[in-house]
Amino acid sequence: MNRIFILTPLIVLLIICIFSLVYLLSGKDPNKPPSALLNKDVPIFESSSLYNANDIIKTKDIKNKKTLINFFASWCSPCKIEHPLFFEIRKKYPELYLLGFNHKDPTSDAKKYLEDDGNPYDFVGVDSDGLIALEFGVFGLPETYLINEDGKIVYKLMGPITKDILKNEIEPLL
Amino acid sequence: MSSLVGFLSLVFAIGINFYLFLSRYIFKFQKQKFNLFIRLSSLLTLLSFFSLMYAYLVSDFSNYNVFQNSHSNKPLIYKISGTWGNHEGSMLLWLCILSIFSFFFSFTKNIEDNFQKLTLIIQAFLHILFGLFIVFTSNPFLVNSILVKEGLGLNPILQDPGLAVHPPILYAGYVGYSIVFSIAIAGLFQNTDDEWLYVAKKWSLISWTFLTGGIALGSYWAYYELGWGGWWFWDPVENISLMPWIAGLALVHSLMMVRGEQAIKKWIVFLSILCFSLSVFGTFLVRSGILTSVHSFAADASRGIFILLIFFIVTGFGFLVFLLKEPKKSNALNLLFINKVSALVINNILMIIATLTILLGTIYPIIIEVLYNKRISVGGPYFNSTVIPIMIPGFLLMSIAPILSWQTNKINNSKKYVLAFIILSILVILQSYFLDFNTWGFVGLLLGFWIILASIIAIFSSYKIKINTKFFKIINPHIAHIGVGIAIIGITCSSVFQNELDFNLNEGDKFNVNGKTVLFEKIETTNENNFQSLRGKFLFDIEKNQSKEIEAGKNYYPVSKMITSEAGILHQWNKDIYFILGDQKNNEWFVKVLINPFVSFIWLGVIIMMYSGLIAVSRR
Repeated sequence: MNRIFILTPLIVLLIICIFSLVYLLSGKDPNKPPSALLNKDVPIFESSSLYNANDIIKTKDIKNKKTLINFFASWCSPCKIEHPLFFEIRKKYPELYLLGFNHKDPTSDAKKYLEDDGNPYDFVGVDSDGLIALEFGVFGLPETYLINEDGKIVYKLMGPITKDILKNEIEPLL
Repeated sequence: MSSLVGFLSLVFAIGINFYLFLSRYIFKFQKQKFNLFIRLSSLLTLLSFFSLMYAYLVSDFSNYNVFQNSHSNKPLIYKISGTWGNHEGSMLLWLCILSIFSFFFSFTKNIEDNFQKLTLIIQAFLHILFGLFIVFTSNPFLVNSILVKEGLGLNPILQDPGLAVHPPILYAGYVGYSIVFSIAIAGLFQNTDDEWLYVAKKWSLISWTFLTGGIALGSYWAYYELGWGGWWFWDPVENISLMPWIAGLALVHSLMMVRGEQAIKKWIVFLSILCFSLSVFGTFLVRSGILTSVHSFAADASRGIFILLIFFIVTGFGFLVFLLKEPKKSNALNLLFINKVSALVINNILMIIATLTILLGTIYPIIIEVLYNKRISVGGPYFNSTVIPIMIPGFLLMSIAPILSWQTNKINNSKKYVLAFIILSILVILQSYFLDFNTWGFVGLLLGFWIILASIIAIFSSYKIKINTKFFKIINPHIAHIGVGIAIIGITCSSVFQNELDFNLNEGDKFNVNGKTVLFEKIETTNENNFQSLRGKFLFDIEKNQSKEIEAGKNYYPVSKMITSEAGILHQWNKDIYFILGDQKNNEWFVKVLINPFVSFIWLGVIIMMYSGLIAVSRR
């Protein structure tokens, strides 16, 4: 009995180490959690336009249309890399609604960014305090979500979109 | 140049420790020579650390680590603290503190030479493990391959005076347990007399006091910097600091109570190993990036595996020795229904259950993700509903534990305590009835006041009151417990009776907080040296002549493009009025005001506990 008691710490240690090791070796990235939001309703949000504070977009405004939501910021260099691809998407899928959320960015920087690199979005919402990103469970920029006509999140990508990702992962869903 | 010096001295220090480690088997040393080598290795490790600090001070961007984490227009204090504001530097600080502990331990007198030597050899072994970890996976002395004039900057959230000193103090606590660990293992190997228990007590008190200070600083920082108005969030990183803290508390109590009982000695060894294991485990969880929080730096699987290996070796070795070697047979446990020993046993069991509960909540998400590929997060609701109820009987007991007898079930002056408890209960019931009833509030207030009251009764009825150092040393356990009582009152009031008010305001608006009129004076933006600040200025209680000015706002750090929130806090002895400036919408500013009653009691309680910890170090 006593022996078992003394052995317990070693057994617990072994269990903890095995699980941690499996976790580390499985290549799971703690920054890329399996999304809890997939196939769930898009979170409720409300945001004003970057260009006109009175122009408000709400969750119900994107009902009944396929929407691609992209969180970006002027300070985010990977965002700059994926940015041109949105123009391609725009051209290829004109019926897709492109909603950009400008995340924790001074308005002037955001405007300048979209002026320099072009604005592919149908609507640019301001998320200056990051509350909308919090609702969506954004871990780091850029992040992109595809919402279907029923308002369900059908796809989530952390990090920049690449040509391959666009072709193999996003286009089949469009 | 400084990077080279730093790297070489780090490698030399590891080499010396390797030599010392082998000395157990191959080269035999005199005690003097042995201690000399230990001190030399400590000085080299210090030199290595200060070389890195120097590189930060002079903004030597040819060092890759400095380039990644510093910026030339950062204020001096953050250049210094930048040294440990990143993964590599903070691991070097870890090693540095480890060798400082070995350094001071080598001066300990009144212990057997062989025992001291063995303890230091185990320390040398730990030094080698962590030293190799730094050299192979987290070298802070890498050369920057490109020529640059400017660095990338320190995470602005870390640019805060409280946080500059938080890591060294916290680490002093974590790493301090390494000495306790080494002492316990050496004690098992040498199977000497009980002298090691006294040595271990001193070091575990020092570590515990540092850990307390480190945790408190961290939570004070979270309180005014994160801008959520809370000070404890059951964040995984907070949890892993709490585990060795509670286990360390159990250890300190056991060490003070032990009178040569076999069972308690065994338990002490177990706790000593556990405390350090939990410290290393915490390091693993944070450094491997398995847990994400403000504390995790860039994650890297190879680092994670390396620390996991260290954790496995250290803990496995510790518990294996514990399994194979038993402390010398001695006195049996004198367990009665309610005496000092039984109170100690109950308190230890509760603390260990609490530690394990936190451990379970912390690693549960990892297990679930491995098994089901789902990410869950275990937070406040789980911990509040498990850990707190487990601790409650312990709190009830601690108020009278110091005056319990060793030999009998009798409690002196028991009538006084019963009477005091009844009166106190009635008062707290009245308070809840007339003011604000809340179950947790009721329990917390009753417990907090009961601990304070019972401790005061105990002091006045059990000792002759004298005002001298000896007296304060005698009543020290009661003082520590009064500190806990005060902290419990602060914790209860600030979390249960917190009041939140939301406003949408224009500049010049007046609004009402707690019966006082507050003027939202203006919004001001200024350019500081390394950030831009946006401040809302508020005048509190404008009807009085001496109205107080409060500033709440945000800072924008252009180098790292981050915004931090800066809460404006008006400290009063019985409450904090906590202003948070939100965003501007439709020309109105969103302002949140939190009224946190008795927050200052938490910090006061912690300071009292730390004071008692220090006094206890000097008491034999």
